[in-house]
Amino acid sequence: MAEERTPLQGGNPGWAGETGEYGHLTEADVRGTTYVGKRPPEGTSPGASCSYPYQVGGGRPDAPLFEGPYRERLDKILSRYPNRQGALLPVLALAQEIRGHLSPESMAEVAAALGLAPAYVRGVATFYTMYHKRPVGEHLVQVCTNVACNLCGADEVLRAFLAATGTEPGQISADGQYTVIEAECLGACGFPTAVQVNDRYFENVSPEAVPAILERLAQEAAARSSAAARQGS
Amino acid sequence: MAYPYRDEREVRILSAHFGDPEARTLAGWRQRGGYEALGQALALSPEQVTEIVKNSALRGRGGAGFPTGLKWSFLRNDGRPHYVLVNSDESEPGAFKDRELCRWTPHQLLEGALINAYAIRAQHVYIYMRGEFFEPAQIVARAIDEAYAAGIAGPDVLGSGVTIDVTLHLGAGAYICGEETALMNSLEGRRGQPRVKPPFPAVFGAFGQPTNINNVETLCTVPHIIRNGADWWRSIGTDKSTGTKLFNMSGHLVRRGNFEFPLGFNMKELIYDVCGGIRDGRSLKAVIPGGSSVPMLAAHELDIPCAYERVATAGSKLGTASMIVMDDRTDIVKQVRRMVEFYAHESCGQCTPCREGTAWLARIMRRIEAGQGTEADLALLVDLGKNMTGTTICVLSDSAAAPVLSSLAKFKDEYLALIGRAAPVAAAV
Ligand SMILES: Cc1cc2nc3c(=O)[nH]c(=O)nc-3n(C[C@H](O)[C@H](O)[C@H](O)COP(=O)(O)O)c2cc1C
Ligand code: SF4
Ligand code: FES
Repeated sequence: MAEERTPLQGGNPGWAGETGEYGHLTEADVRGTTYVGKRPPEGTSPGASCSYPYQVGGGRPDAPLFEGPYRERLDKILSRYPNRQGALLPVLALAQEIRGHLSPESMAEVAAALGLAPAYVRGVATFYTMYHKRPVGEHLVQVCTNVACNLCGADEVLRAFLAATGTEPGQISADGQYTVIEAECLGACGFPTAVQVNDRYFENVSPEAVPAILERLAQEAAARSSAAARQGS
Repeated sequence: MAYPYRDEREVRILSAHFGDPEARTLAGWRQRGGYEALGQALALSPEQVTEIVKNSALRGRGGAGFPTGLKWSFLRNDGRPHYVLVNSDESEPGAFKDRELCRWTPHQLLEGALINAYAIRAQHVYIYMRGEFFEPAQIVARAIDEAYAAGIAGPDVLGSGVTIDVTLHLGAGAYICGEETALMNSLEGRRGQPRVKPPFPAVFGAFGQPTNINNVETLCTVPHIIRNGADWWRSIGTDKSTGTKLFNMSGHLVRRGNFEFPLGFNMKELIYDVCGGIRDGRSLKAVIPGGSSVPMLAAHELDIPCAYERVATAGSKLGTASMIVMDDRTDIVKQVRRMVEFYAHESCGQCTPCREGTAWLARIMRRIEAGQGTEADLALLVDLGKNMTGTTICVLSDSAAAPVLSSLAKFKDEYLALIGRAAPVAAAV
């Protein structure tokens, strides 16, 4: 769109958004990762445990729901609502975190855990876009194409992600790594184009930045699997 | 300091610590005066706290501008469980202020929410944050952990004997859940569909109990008002729009981001001086001044103070003060089509004018954009838009019509060019 693109000022550490006059900030500063620290699977204080990241990749469709640390987290979640139905959204999120998506069977298990009818749970789950009724790639790439990003070339960013991953919107790439979809406003309109990859935002993304972002995601995934292999051996 | 740019004319109250990672932590926040206001509030009666907020004339920052203290005063001390809900669903295209508040100053939000809870005698605060905000959610979650560990949340808040629990609750992707009663349904584990009012939340809110709901930015201002007094807040801004506000500036600007100014600051100055004007040497075509659901303004309409009452006089709304700025190359029809598709996607489907109207608007806009529209389509758009205004349970329907009606009134030539006709200059819509 913009033939002459005004360069970013202050840089954009790790695509955590243009830092403008705060050029000294690191990616960890902007994202707050040092402050947040490790979030254990069983959760921390109960009030903070309804909000753990889900859609983080690495889910296993055959994993048991609500066992071990996840049972502990489920109990913490249940303690925060005056009735079991109130816990439905966070518990669906927890199930999706464990299994990667929400099959009808998973929804039925959630229903049983909360004493709700399976049809009721399906009716609620289908209302919300963040519950995946089908599997998605290890990285779910959501490109905001709403107005503030659209003005700044979001359609081209979407095309660049689709081309680089060789997919159509919503498909899983051949290597299972990527699903690219168009998203509504992500609430980061001052940092166009805003892109969400699993639990992280990538901001001020231009089409030219797409290969480097995918390269970084691949490196991180490789580091995660070799760490897992080391733990396993 | 607003982020990621600053301007010396800013008055930095809410944003004083944006871009400062130390201010996130409880220790850092306390060093900066954090939680003193909560202590001051706990030494007053709940009614006195509400009275201060009422006297400040603070208006809600979630879009509608309803007086905050007045809203708090609707709650009765009747012994039923009361709830405070924090609306952190921020999904209105153009709005990106609550995310900054949550990720840079999580304790500012907790402090405001706890003061609100004390003032209405609520035992539980739910922070409803949109599910996409994982990163700010982890920051707020950490702040909640810290607040519990330090005795700021939970039983015996700051040794006062008052119990206030705080729970962070994530949504799951639905714009409509920002509407206050849809948010309550969603919190209760239902589909996020707005409720018919009355009954109002002060009587029948979350879980059927008396509830107060405020936007993140609204609650973040409360500690400052308690600390510095209602008169101080009223001395900033205009008579009807008191205090400062975060302006979320996006689109084709040289300097995008949040800036904090007293309400009443001139819109033209904000766009051309503070934000450096339009990128790449272009000129300005249009501005949406308050998030995508308010009418657009054309370039010659911007010399106005950014106060609720003054933007209304100019035929639009200040809304969330989220300004989307469009340069002279902008394809207005395409951008309006994109906004309309958003509303069509997000309509909860309960009301016929909204469900059918948004779908029709989107279809007609696509047809026009593809060069297959007729002049009758323009009349149809106006007709549909009018039928969608003021006829439904919530105002999402009105919001969908706003960009269509305002762009047709102000940029009709762009529509006419697409339907293959020369632009008659003063054609009435
Ligand atoms: C469709 C729709 C979406 C809304 N989204 C939000 C939102 O994301 N955040 C918000 O604070 N208010 C939103 N509101 C306004 C809320 O209904 C409510 O007015 C607000 O939370 C009240 O808080 P305040 O008085 O502090 O502004 C929305 C309203 C509608 C009709
Ligand atoms: S106006 Fe639209 S979004 Fe609002 S309640 Fe009616 S159908 Fe739902
Ligand atoms: S329009 Fe893209 S983040 Fe808001």
